[in-house]
Amino acid sequence: MDLLMLFITAVFVQNYVLYYFLGICPFLGVSKKIDSAVSMGLAVTFVMTITAVVSWIINHWILIPYRLDYLQIVAFILVIASLVQLVEMFIRKISPPLYQALGIYLPLITTNCAIMGLALLAALKNFSFIQTVIYGVGSGLGFTLAIVLMAGIREQLDLADVPKPLKGAGIALIVAGIMALAFTGFSGMIT
Amino acid sequence: MPTKSLSAEYLKGLWDENPVFRQLLGMCPVLAVTNAVINGIAMGLAASFVLIFSSLVVSSIKKLIPNQVRIATYIVVIATFVTMADRFMAAFFPPISKALGPYVPLIVVNCIILGRQEAFSSRNSVGRSLIDALGMSTGFILALLILSSIRELLGAGTFLGYQVLGPWFKPWIIMILPAGAFLTLGILLGIALVIEQKTKGRTV
Amino acid sequence: MSLNLRMIVVLTAVGLIAGGLLSVVNILTAERIELNRLREIEEAITQVVPGTVTSEIRHEEENLIVYSGKDAAGKELGYAVYASGTGFQDIIKIMFGTDPSVEKLYSLTVLEQKETPGLGAKITDRNAFLEYWENKDVRQPLTLRKPAVASPQDLSATEVNTITGATISSQKVLDTVNLSLERLRRALQEGILEKEDQDAD
Repeated sequence: MDLLMLFITAVFVQNYVLYYFLGICPFLGVSKKIDSAVSMGLAVTFVMTITAVVSWIINHWILIPYRLDYLQIVAFILVIASLVQLVEMFIRKISPPLYQALGIYLPLITTNCAIMGLALLAALKNFSFIQTVIYGVGSGLGFTLAIVLMAGIREQLDLADVPKPLKGAGIALIVAGIMALAFTGFSGMIT
Repeated sequence: MPTKSLSAEYLKGLWDENPVFRQLLGMCPVLAVTNAVINGIAMGLAASFVLIFSSLVVSSIKKLIPNQVRIATYIVVIATFVTMADRFMAAFFPPISKALGPYVPLIVVNCIILGRQEAFSSRNSVGRSLIDALGMSTGFILALLILSSIRELLGAGTFLGYQVLGPWFKPWIIMILPAGAFLTLGILLGIALVIEQKTKGRTV
Repeated sequence: MSLNLRMIVVLTAVGLIAGGLLSVVNILTAERIELNRLREIEEAITQVVPGTVTSEIRHEEENLIVYSGKDAAGKELGYAVYASGTGFQDIIKIMFGTDPSVEKLYSLTVLEQKETPGLGAKITDRNAFLEYWENKDVRQPLTLRKPAVASPQDLSATEVNTITGATISSQKVLDTVNLSLERLRRALQEGILEKEDQDAD
């Protein structure tokens, strides 16, 4: 699949949150304000891109040549956990202001299904190295798009008269449903 | 704090601390694989297998693990059982394995499982951890069952593949789509809260 | 034992035990998984090239695998082409069977798809889509008949039926088939497919 189409598909047509249901926890938890949503989204995109690179290397240089495919799940999750630790330490040293903005979200990212999902899906779809990187960036940006849109809506929703039982997670999921429906309109864009 | 009776330890997973409806954990698979009842059940059983055995192992070795590496250890334990479940399904139930796709490996990042190790198995006896895991698993399967029944019934008119609603029923395709999953879960959460309030109100 | 040493020992032990357990699981399941995969392909080949008893791979390129189906006597009955192409929502994987001279398409089957349920997903349904693909003339590219007709008799030998409400999914399948036929013919012309026979001599 050509790279631009791949990118557009990852952001819109097969959006990680609204199509693959990945990253729901942060999607519901961190989408109350637009700035925190943007920070979370960028942190996720950053980790996703690095994960894409590292997981591809591990898969194609170690696991597949030595017929260790069955260790894929263990290998990927350990890689992600360590990566997040390293990224956190790195950002804290290099740029304290960046750490202030993104840092607290990073530990949450380890159990974010979106990152593991990326490693698994990229491996499943058998992408080349360049395709995997583009896919990582695109999926992260798609996640960011969904979470920022959700935050924008929720900021407005705070002022609305939501029935009590639906306040919080309930109405957020219903809004997500309507967003998912809207995003279905993007299907058919891929040629 | 008084220790719960064993039956209370089990039952809390079904409602009071239901991992999906009350703790809002593990929602990724609940939304993803509930387009058909058989898929929901398969996912529930796979995740339960991982939860129960991980809890057993973690609770057995909890004294041996230094605090700093506990999360990494839990992750390796969980990932091992997830791989077992994934391989087993691919070998013996290929069509279901295909239908569930990447969501079986994704059990490894299911917050319910890691959460239970951190919150319970690492601090309780093997016996109690087993009961806790069984309760949480039952609660999880229940949530999957409810959601997938609604989605399959309204979205295709079938249950477990058998036509239940006659030809007069025009399926609500939206139920099979991602949008339907979100909407159904949102409404169910609202209903859960209403039930919670009504029952609390009665006992107060 | 110092803390650091203990940490390393525990992690290594856990890692080794996990690795050991998983290699056992792998040994127990790997063969079965591969067998499942092969069986699925075999069943599809037998379906699209009727009478197939054995099959072998003749050619492989990106998104395309060509198998030849042989009867019990070893006579070549036709080619089974496994192809994947983009659909409306995601990739669609199909297999279709042709006669050895690639002039007739026996039938089509859809192996994997993620199209819209109730609409595009109907491409796996025999009555709604697949029966219109039986015994087609493929000396020229096939075309899509819109609006949909009621029975296969209403179509010419070079037309296939669209699914009402799922024109794009239908078209995508058609495009993949036409493209694969082209690639098959090119491989035949360049003698790539004949190589296996010569090696067997």
